[in-house]
Formats: sequence, C-alpha cells, structure tokens
Amino acid sequence: MESLDDVIDAMIADRVIHRHRRKWLIVIALVVVVALVVLATGGWTQKKGRTVPTLTAPTTVESGEWEYNFTATEAEIRRKPKTKYSEAEAKLRVYFDLKNNDSEEHTSKYLDGRLVRMVPGGGKDLVESNGADCRGELGWVLVYGLPPESCYTEFDVAPDFAEEVVELGILGNRYESDNGLLGADEDPYWHNPVPDAVVRVKTKVVVDGEDE
Amino acid sequence: MKLYRPATILVGVLFILLGGLTRLATPEQVYDEQNMKAVRGTVGEVLQYGGGDSTVKVTRMKFAKAIVENDEDKPIETNGVFVAIEWDTVRGSEKPNNIKATLTADGGTVYAPIGLTNSGMDFPEAGFGKTGAVIFEVNPSDLKDLTLNVRPTMFFNTYNSYVLVDLGIPGDDIAQRMVDEAAAQYVLPRPVVRVAS
Repeated sequence: MESLDDVIDAMIADRVIHRHRRKWLIVIALVVVVALVVLATGGWTQKKGRTVPTLTAPTTVESGEWEYNFTATEAEIRRKPKTKYSEAEAKLRVYFDLKNNDSEEHTSKYLDGRLVRMVPGGGKDLVESNGADCRGELGWVLVYGLPPESCYTEFDVAPDFAEEVVELGILGNRYESDNGLLGADEDPYWHNPVPDAVVRVKTKVVVDGEDE
Repeated sequence: MKLYRPATILVGVLFILLGGLTRLATPEQVYDEQNMKAVRGTVGEVLQYGGGDSTVKVTRMKFAKAIVENDEDKPIETNGVFVAIEWDTVRGSEKPNNIKATLTADGGTVYAPIGLTNSGMDFPEAGFGKTGAVIFEVNPSDLKDLTLNVRPTMFFNTYNSYVLVDLGIPGDDIAQRMVDEAAAQYVLPRPVVRVAS
C-alpha cells in the first residue's frame, strides 16, 4: 500500500514539473528551430580543405588494392555532336595503366567506378566514373600477379565541358574488419574507401567520329 | 515499491554467469564455415549441387592464349593465360541457388571469371540440362592445385553445400607444360539447353 509520504512526494514532484513546464517547452521549441535552421542552411559540415596530396600526370598512385599509373599527360573530352535524333553529349576519358595490388586476398576483381571520381571544384559534387575499360571490355577483371593493363575510365560531363585541366580524386579501400561487438564477422576485407590522392590531368577535345 | 530487491540482483548476476558458461561450453570451431558441406570431385564426375537434386559436371578444361567471343570480333588477348572450363548442369525439381564460380590456387589466390556475356555458369529450367563455358584469366606461375569452386549465393546462412572440382594440376611443372601447350585461341561457345535424359 502507498504510504502518505509517497503521496506527498508524488504531489511535490508534480508541482516541480508543472512550475517549469513553459520554460521547458520554449527550450525544446528553440532547439527544434535551431536544428531546422542549420539543416536549411546546408548542414553542419566542417570545411577542411584538401588533406590529400595533389599530383600532376604523369604519376603513379598506389591506393587500396589498386595501383594507377597515369602515363598519358592528356585526357580526352570526347564530344558527340547533336544529330537529328539525339542531343549533344560529352564524356571525359582518362587513360591509365591499372594493376591489381591486392596482396591481402590475391583475388582478381574489377575496378569499382566509385573509386575514381572527377573533382569539378567550386563546391560541386564529385562525379563518379564508369569503372575501368581494359582490352575493350568495360568492367574487365584484373588478375593479381599479372602486369598492369592499359585502361581508361569515362565520366559523363556537360556537352560544353571545356576545362583545360581536370582533377581526379582517387579513393582507396582499406583492408579492415567490422566491429565484432555489434555481431559482425571480424575477418577483415576491403571496404571503407577514403581519399588517397588528387591527380591533375590536362585535356584535349576530340570530336567523335574523327578519331575512331 | 522497491525496484532493486536482492533477489532481482541475484537473478541478474545469474543470467550474466549463464552467458559466460554457454560461451565456455561452445565446441571449438573445426570448420571455416560450419554451415557448408564440401562436395569434392574431379573432371568428368557428376556432382550434386546445393543439397537438392541438381547436378554440376566439368566436362573439359582448356588453356588458351586468346578468347574469341564472336567470329567477327577481334580476339581478346592476355598477359597471363586463359583457362576455359566447359560445364554441364542439370536442374532437378528444386530450384538451386545461383552459382558463383571461382578458381582457387594453392597459395590462396582467387580468380574470378571474365565479364563476357557467355562466360558464366548457371542452371536451365527444371528437367533440362545446359552446357556452356566459363573463362578465367589466370597467372601462369600460380596454378598449382587449381580448383574450381562452385558456390551457391545465399542470402541467409542456412545449411548448404558447395562443389570443389580438382582440375588435376598437382605441380608447377605440369602447370608449365599446360601453359606451353595452350591453344592459340579459344572460341567461347554459346550455352546450349537440352532435355535432361
């Protein structure tokens, strides 16, 4: 059975809560408003600037399980002129030699397009590539232990894209395990890509049909 | 009302101890994967796949220096060597899991199939058999104990089996001889479906 003391305690607690109720409501409303304002003005991201080295082609980048060798000094802006039936298009094509460097798992694999991105600059979002095209096949599987293959990757760009120098961000996976405390398998594997380098490449314009 | 009576605390402590005891009592893990049974075989043997009544057979293995997909296309060349594995699958009444085929070598190297349209391994409809080929690009100096690993792709970790086909390369000297005798080119056959007899 409840004693009188308990009842009085409950009453006092009730009073205390009610006395400051309006102030609490105002504080909560303020927090919500501040959160909405932060969200509306573009979030709470800390602008750090570039923390990875910027290299200029020709250069070699070892990143995660891949080794890229940018031998060609020029990337191609491949323009496809407007025809009666299709809009004008342009793609940026970057050539490099690609080697499977997976000394952990010795597994053959293809390059994920998300690992090579174009950095348009000016705060714009990065553009993902379409992976690596080697030996005339997009998504060619590269074998660990074989010499590098010459490959290229392509980015979709605006039809009037005409930058003289483009920057490519190279992201590398890390060979690490997930947190076993949450029940995940603790064997490490390649994942969690982080930026490793930025490569600057000069461009030249190629109009489709002239070159091929 | 009291929340923390001695009896409540005792029960909590007991549960914690019980958890520790069950961990101690789990048997040592003998297999890498406790839910997978390996079905081993050699070239030409009909092997049961995935616990059901579907079967997988490797009919032939060929080494080649180039792959031709269509007669008109330019052959695809390699810095290593291509291994073509011709297979024959028969689907039973139960639907088997999709196949993920890889080649593994002695040192732990894993080779994945090349991404051509007709290079792959799968099952036809129930009651039919299918033949085709799957192509791997491999490193000629890493071929010892080459084994075809036919795994089911599973969404849940249920009890299942996978097929290991020993391709008969016990040593580096035999591997070297096979690489030396590799065909100049291999024409990738189109998969053919037939009625299973």
